[in-house]
Amino acid sequence: MIGDKDIALWRGEDGKIRAWENRCPHRGMRLSYGIVRGNTLTCLYHGWSYDGTGGCAGIPAHPDLTPPKTIRTKVYRAADSGGMIWVANPEEATEVPAIDGAWAPNRSIHVDVAPANIAALTEGIGAELQSKITDHAAILRVPNIEEDILVAFLDMKEHGAMIHTAVPAKATEAVAIAVSKLSTHLRQVFKASSAA
Amino acid sequence: MIQLHDYPLSGNCFKVRFLMDQLDLDYQSTLVDFYPGYEHKSPRFLKINPLGQLPVIEDNGQTIRDAQAILVYLATAYDTSGTWFPRDRQGEIYQWLAFADELTGSISAARLHDAMFYSLDVAKARARGTKLLRIVDEHLWFTEKDGHDWLVPLPHPTIADVACLPYIALAEEGGIDLAPYPSVARWMERFMRLEKFKPMPGMMPLEMPKETP
Repeated sequence: MIGDKDIALWRGEDGKIRAWENRCPHRGMRLSYGIVRGNTLTCLYHGWSYDGTGGCAGIPAHPDLTPPKTIRTKVYRAADSGGMIWVANPEEATEVPAIDGAWAPNRSIHVDVAPANIAALTEGIGAELQSKITDHAAILRVPNIEEDILVAFLDMKEHGAMIHTAVPAKATEAVAIAVSKLSTHLRQVFKASSAA
Repeated sequence: MIQLHDYPLSGNCFKVRFLMDQLDLDYQSTLVDFYPGYEHKSPRFLKINPLGQLPVIEDNGQTIRDAQAILVYLATAYDTSGTWFPRDRQGEIYQWLAFADELTGSISAARLHDAMFYSLDVAKARARGTKLLRIVDEHLWFTEKDGHDWLVPLPHPTIADVACLPYIALAEEGGIDLAPYPSVARWMERFMRLEKFKPMPGMMPLEMPKETP
């Protein structure tokens, strides 16, 4: 989920990340249940397959038919950076965030309520902002953790939010574990007021 | 031969079928019309299990009810490898068997509400299920960090995994999104790639059943 949009993420053999509307143009089945072979994604329901650009590449019930070019999935912009996947609306001109250094994805957790902004997330962690990357992502310095950490949150509206963390690729196991425990604590910070 | 009172859409029955397949046991499945027939509440079935629940097995003159109890029974009686219920890890395993009961009371309840129109507090069931998923996702994250693949950190799965898998894998049928739990997703995939694994309806296959053009 991104905002209220359901997205299917997949990576072909070519290593390229793709973000599509999570809906098969044929019968509306979630493409996230689909199966990747080579650089095509095949819907689990009736086996319609789509090439890496989102165009329909084959319809099993009509093996001799070349699918019309109008059968296409809705394609979002997607890119890898800093050990995370970044997605933008097709019409948005946003640049892919340039993040220095090599980062390893750490823990991803679900919280009940999205942080209001990156400042609220920084404060919730008890950290100090080193550099802001986007309105939803930043590099932070956390007391007692010897490496800077990369934090990003994904607002899923009524479905809460995901908070993703990454640590420098060279970080020790102890750092990774400390950041993971910190992530768990965030559930208490960003919880629904009604939750116990 | 073991008799299994069975229902294809029951995650609890799946557990028993899965372990019997792993142990290469011969069994005969007697289908009970759980929905819409409510045959498990019929006078005939209540004589087999007064709790009116599935699954039940009959073996060597014994009748055993409760999915977790049946897993313990089968592993103790028939697992010559000793890996599914290792003697020295029983405390940890019982902890997860009790956790599986909590999954039945929450995620499975939400699924009964959505799929079979049971009347219950579905918001409460989903909230409880979400709490449990967070606990198991966190446990698996740290387990993976230590280089282990299964709920009990051993080089092979145990009945702890068998007991917890189905209602987690079926959570989306109860309206609970599994996308926020990446460690759970990796654990489910490892489980579904075990030899002799046969998915039940509602578990999404990892590969196409046959080649499609």
